[in-house]
Amino acid sequence: MAERFDRTTTTTCGYCGVGCRLEARAREGRVVSIAPALDGPANRGHTCLKGRFAHQFSRSRERLTTPLIREDGQLRSASWEEATARIVEELTRIRRERGPDAIAGLASSRATNEDCWAMQRLMRAAIGTNNIDNCSRVCHSPTSYALRRSLGYSGATGSFDDIEHADAAIIIGANPTEGHPVAGARIKQAALHGLRLVTIDPRRIELADYGVLHLAPRPGTNAAVLLGLAHVLEREGLVARDFVEARTTGFDAVRELIAAYSPQAVQEITGIPAADLEAAAMIYGQAGEASILWGLGVTEHKFGSEVAQLLCNLALMTGKVGRPGSALLPLRGQNNVQGSSDMGALPDTYSGYRPVADETVARAFEQAWGVPLSRTPGMKIPQMFDAAVAGDLKAMFIFGEDVAQTDPNTTHVVRALEALDFLVCQDIFETETTAYADVILPASSFLEKTGTFTNAERRIQLVGAAIEPPGEARTDFDILTALSRALGHDMGLEAPADAMREIAALTPEFAGVTYERLGRRGLQWPVAPDGTDAPILYGERFEQPDGRAHFAALPYKEPGDAADDEFPLVLITGRRLEHYNAGTMTRRTANLELLPAEWLELHPDDAARLWVADGDLVSVRSRVGRIEVHARITDRIEPGHVFTAFHFPEVRTNLLVGASADVNTSCPEYKVVAVDVRPVQEAPSATPALASAG
Amino acid sequence: MTRLTIDGVEVEVAPGTTVLQAARAAGRDIPTLCFDERLAPFGACRVCLVGVQDAPGPIASCTTACREGMVVDTQAPAARRVAGAVVELVLSELAAPPAEHTELAAVARQFGVGEPRWPGAVHPEREDLRHPYLAFQHGLCISCGRCVRACDEIQGAFALTATGRGFTANVAAGIDAGFRESACVSCGACADTCPTDAIAEVSLLALAESATI
Repeated sequence: MAERFDRTTTTTCGYCGVGCRLEARAREGRVVSIAPALDGPANRGHTCLKGRFAHQFSRSRERLTTPLIREDGQLRSASWEEATARIVEELTRIRRERGPDAIAGLASSRATNEDCWAMQRLMRAAIGTNNIDNCSRVCHSPTSYALRRSLGYSGATGSFDDIEHADAAIIIGANPTEGHPVAGARIKQAALHGLRLVTIDPRRIELADYGVLHLAPRPGTNAAVLLGLAHVLEREGLVARDFVEARTTGFDAVRELIAAYSPQAVQEITGIPAADLEAAAMIYGQAGEASILWGLGVTEHKFGSEVAQLLCNLALMTGKVGRPGSALLPLRGQNNVQGSSDMGALPDTYSGYRPVADETVARAFEQAWGVPLSRTPGMKIPQMFDAAVAGDLKAMFIFGEDVAQTDPNTTHVVRALEALDFLVCQDIFETETTAYADVILPASSFLEKTGTFTNAERRIQLVGAAIEPPGEARTDFDILTALSRALGHDMGLEAPADAMREIAALTPEFAGVTYERLGRRGLQWPVAPDGTDAPILYGERFEQPDGRAHFAALPYKEPGDAADDEFPLVLITGRRLEHYNAGTMTRRTANLELLPAEWLELHPDDAARLWVADGDLVSVRSRVGRIEVHARITDRIEPGHVFTAFHFPEVRTNLLVGASADVNTSCPEYKVVAVDVRPVQEAPSATPALASAG
Repeated sequence: MTRLTIDGVEVEVAPGTTVLQAARAAGRDIPTLCFDERLAPFGACRVCLVGVQDAPGPIASCTTACREGMVVDTQAPAARRVAGAVVELVLSELAAPPAEHTELAAVARQFGVGEPRWPGAVHPEREDLRHPYLAFQHGLCISCGRCVRACDEIQGAFALTATGRGFTANVAAGIDAGFRESACVSCGACADTCPTDAIAEVSLLALAESATI
């Protein structure tokens, strides 16, 4: 029998944070088909149209195959030696003239743990700065902040398996059937088999049709919803007194606070009928086991980190944490957004979220790496751009992130990139961001490298190379370690497995991690030295000095933006099933055929008022920018709201998003943007138009 | 726990375990066609038949729960004969033998079924290539129902439907207007489970042909 494939590689998907295990099948150096691994713990023999089909990008003709150097304003092909020499020369000059803190780096949440480890070590040890951040800054950094403050670890308390063990679940600010399709499918099946599902989202997401109740709060009012739910739980005697007494601190202040958030009061703020709020609280409170799942609709707000703490409050006051079926499950966005932060690709922490100012920790790293390390926390992503515009930041090394398309306030980002003396981009394609680069390094997709990703359930899973990088492209790990060597700091890490040994030696939560132990099913950190992992956290104690979880008494505060006379509608941004993030990968596959362009969702009432017909090109203007996009009229969205995604550079959605950000983590407020929508051109007509025609 | 004997070996299984699960756990191979471990047992194809002592005839192992004291013979001649004939009948309805990599071809090899003995009507060829990733080759459909059940039980898109009756039984997306006009979310679970390539990945169609040249 003629074999259809030369090679089959078991690996982990490089799209969303679900962490599907895949069998990548290659023939003559190309991936020709991907099947789900039957024993994948998160996907259990299933995957979605991104993981299964969207792999053609890996052999796109547009892949970067040689280093590029800017000369006289033009990019030209260069050798690795030339590119390396240029980077070393420029970074050394800037460090000499302006100090190491004039240089900043971004690690990629799409890259492996080992890549991110090498990147943060490059910045800290080879350059000498803590100016290292990753794109979780603009998605789930508020979740990380909240979980650490309330419970201890920066990660889900349980696993996707809790979905099937739960009697009820609340999904807030997430659209899993589009953003995390395999988790979405599992939730849908659970709902079809009796899970009592409450969805909370300004849009009527697909899962709302399978749930028992849907609440549609006004954008930016999540805190009021959660305080109202807590109010009803307390009023109805659904507080787990014993658990609160034995395992937590700070509930008294919460009880005082929530007294004011009666369902009536919450209805005023959120627009959710009081009876619906009461019913939702009863469904959650009366369930034997219940979980809470959330996404960026919780975090990407001015008070996103506070709302995530209020979610923890709900689980704590009802004792619904630390058991099968009772979990707090943040749906992490990119494939390794959990891991990139775990690895310490953050300006204020080393791996395992230990502060850079902690003397003991810093000394351990100094001893391992043999160089002095800065005790001063570095800049977060938005601060880097501010500093670049102000002239204080002179160079950036951006690895696997298209900030000019995905970060908010695009005009400001572009100004920052232009202001830099020197920009290095390490990527697989030219992007909106690489347009400003002085050196572009051709890197590898997830199909071309080895290492590990950590999914949304803290599961560290192996990544295997199904094919080779194209042309002269190299793996990110090789690029970063070679560059560090050229900069005078030899990491002594030959392969990703060496990096994992170093990670395990220097990070308590990874102490027992080895590639052999990860095997086919991975391990959920913290992993004890003997290899025991932790599918469920906090069964006995919380990871706080006193062993107790901490309630947070945080009132509702108004969002950073609001509709007014000039900008009467509120724009929410999000994701579409067919595409992934900036679309650099999915737009180079036949997924583009399935969804060729972006659109703006508009309620029929608003459409009629604005004389917009389905398919019309509309202008969307915010306080900071303007885009044009075709309208689609749908009652999945409430009157007064509009929705679009940011997968297409043709529709630079993030031009509209301003500088407002989470007060604690600087995560941008992507989810509340006041806009004005109007037709770009009304149809020329010899006869007077009728308003009802819209 | 339930105790039973499979091919002369005593095994102990949890209550509710099917004979197929118990046999496979014990390392005994029972061929299947409509079975997929990701889906609820269906019992449609009769390929997983086994002999059970004192039973009036062969039984479908995928839908039969183990009972205390059961004596199972996976190689019972009657069961093998009937199951082999079923496979042969299925093949007799196809215009051409199934591609070598398919599950149907593997099952046929297991039963030693070659050219069917019964000539007669075969399913007409009908292709639908309107989706960029998923192809229908309706002539290869054997109505095992795996795609429809995968769509329902794994993805929950409910996009596929069993159509027609008897010899004309087949499968369709939505109201047979193709995947893209249906509720399909392009997850590919149908192609993944299909044992004949009646639904196949477009990228593999060309490959299957070139591989046999």
